[in-house]
Amino acid sequence: MSTSASDTQTWNAATLPSNDNVNAYSFSVDLNGQWFTQKGKMIAYYGQVRFEALSAGPLDALVAASFHSPLYAQDWIVAQGQGKLLLADRGFDVNSYDLDDGNLTIRAGNLLAFEPGLELKQSIIPGFLTLIGTGRFVAASNGPVHFVEPPIRVDPQALLGWADCPSPCHHYDHSYMRGAIGAARMVFGVGGASGEEHQFAFTGEGTVLMQSSEVVMNDDVLLRDLEGQIGTVGTSGLQRLHQTIAQRLAAERQS
Amino acid sequence: MLAVDLVGETIKALNGSMVAYDGEMTFKRQGLTGGEGLRGALKRKIAGEGMTLMEIAGKGTVFLASEATEVTLVQLAGDVLFVESESLLALDGRLQTGVQFVGLRGMGTGQGLATTKVEGQGTVAILSDGPAIALEVTPQTPLCVDPHAYVGHRGQLQQDVVTDVNWRTVIGQGSGESVQFRYQGHGLVYVQPAERGGILEI
Repeated sequence: MSTSASDTQTWNAATLPSNDNVNAYSFSVDLNGQWFTQKGKMIAYYGQVRFEALSAGPLDALVAASFHSPLYAQDWIVAQGQGKLLLADRGFDVNSYDLDDGNLTIRAGNLLAFEPGLELKQSIIPGFLTLIGTGRFVAASNGPVHFVEPPIRVDPQALLGWADCPSPCHHYDHSYMRGAIGAARMVFGVGGASGEEHQFAFTGEGTVLMQSSEVVMNDDVLLRDLEGQIGTVGTSGLQRLHQTIAQRLAAERQS
Repeated sequence: MLAVDLVGETIKALNGSMVAYDGEMTFKRQGLTGGEGLRGALKRKIAGEGMTLMEIAGKGTVFLASEATEVTLVQLAGDVLFVESESLLALDGRLQTGVQFVGLRGMGTGQGLATTKVEGQGTVAILSDGPAIALEVTPQTPLCVDPHAYVGHRGQLQQDVVTDVNWRTVIGQGSGESVQFRYQGHGLVYVQPAERGGILEI
C-alpha cells in the first residue's frame, strides 16, 4: 500500500519550541515559574507541573497582583513548576503576542494564557478582558488574525480585540430602530433582521484585531456580567428587574 | 483526506469513509466478527468499542476522508499502536486489530473502558481534530496528557491516571485539569490540538 498524506513530525521535551508555536494550532510554553492559563486548554506537558485554581491559598499574592477579575476567576488556573506545557483550543489558530508596557483588550473566551508580568482586568465592554504591562500572552482565533487600523466598524462576533485605541462604541443602523418592527425588536430583542445592523465602531489611534469567522465560544459571559452588575442596583431597581423578567417569562410561555 | 494507491492488495477502512476512487475497486463490508474472530467480536461488543471496517481491494487510487478531520500516518514495524476506534480511518490489510481493556482510563471522557489495538507490519491512518502532534516519551521525560486531547500511543509505555482531585474539585473550585494520563517508558503519544467534550467538562 502506498499512501500520500502529510507526515507527522515527532517532538520531545528538548525539541519542543520554547514559548513558540508547535504548529498553527498549538503553543508550547517553556514553564519556569508560573503562568495563568484558562481551564481545559492544556493538552499535554513534560516535567513537573501543578495546576491550581485561583482560589488556592498560596496563590493569594499572585492573584492580588495580576488578576483583577472575580467574574472570570473560575475560568482560570495557574500552572506552576518546570517543564514544557502544550496549549490548544478547539483546533483554532493559536498565536502569541508580546506586550511591552502596553495594553490590549481581547475576547475573554479567546485568551488562553498569559505571563504574570501582565495584569488582567475586565474591560468596560462585556465579555472582554484587558491585559496591561509587559509580557507574553497566547490567544486563539478561528482562522488567521487580521490587524486593521481605525476608523473601522467591526462585526461583534468577528472582533477578537484591540490594542492602544480607546474602547469602541456601539453602532446601529438607523433603519434597524425605525417603524413598528424596529420597536418590537427593541422590546423583545428578536426579529427578522439581516444580522448586520449592529457593529462596534472604533476611532482613534491603535490596532484592531479581527478573526476571519464569526464563530465565538458559546459561553455565559453576558449572563455572568449581568449577575455581576445586580449588586449595583437598589431595591426599587431589583423590583423593576423582577417585573421585567416575569413579563418576559410569561411571554415565552405563551409563544 | 487520504489517497491510497492500490496494486492488487487489500486494505481495511472505516465503513463509509470512501469519497472517491479511480480504477477497479471492490468494497466489502467485513463480516460480523470484523476479522477478529468470534472471541474478538464478543470482546468488542462487551467493551462497547464499536468499529465497523470495510475491505477495499483492487487496482487504482482510493480517496478516504471522515468529517474533514486531519489524517496522520503511522508506520508500524511489528509494534503495537493503541488508538480509539473512533480515530481509526484505514489500515493495511495485513495488520491485526483487537480490543484492549484499559481500565479506569476512559472514564469521564466518554470513551469507554477499552481501546483498539493495532499490530503487525504496515501503515495505519488515524484521524484527529486538527493535525496530530507526536510526542516522544523517554524514561527521563514522562509525559502527561489531557484525556480529551489523547488520540493514541505506541511503544513500550506504561499508562496511569494522575489525579489531584481534592476538596476544591468537589465544590467546583478545581483546576479543571485534575485528571491526566501519565505515560512512562519508551514510545510515542499522539495528541490533537482540540479537546473532545466529555462528562468532566464544565
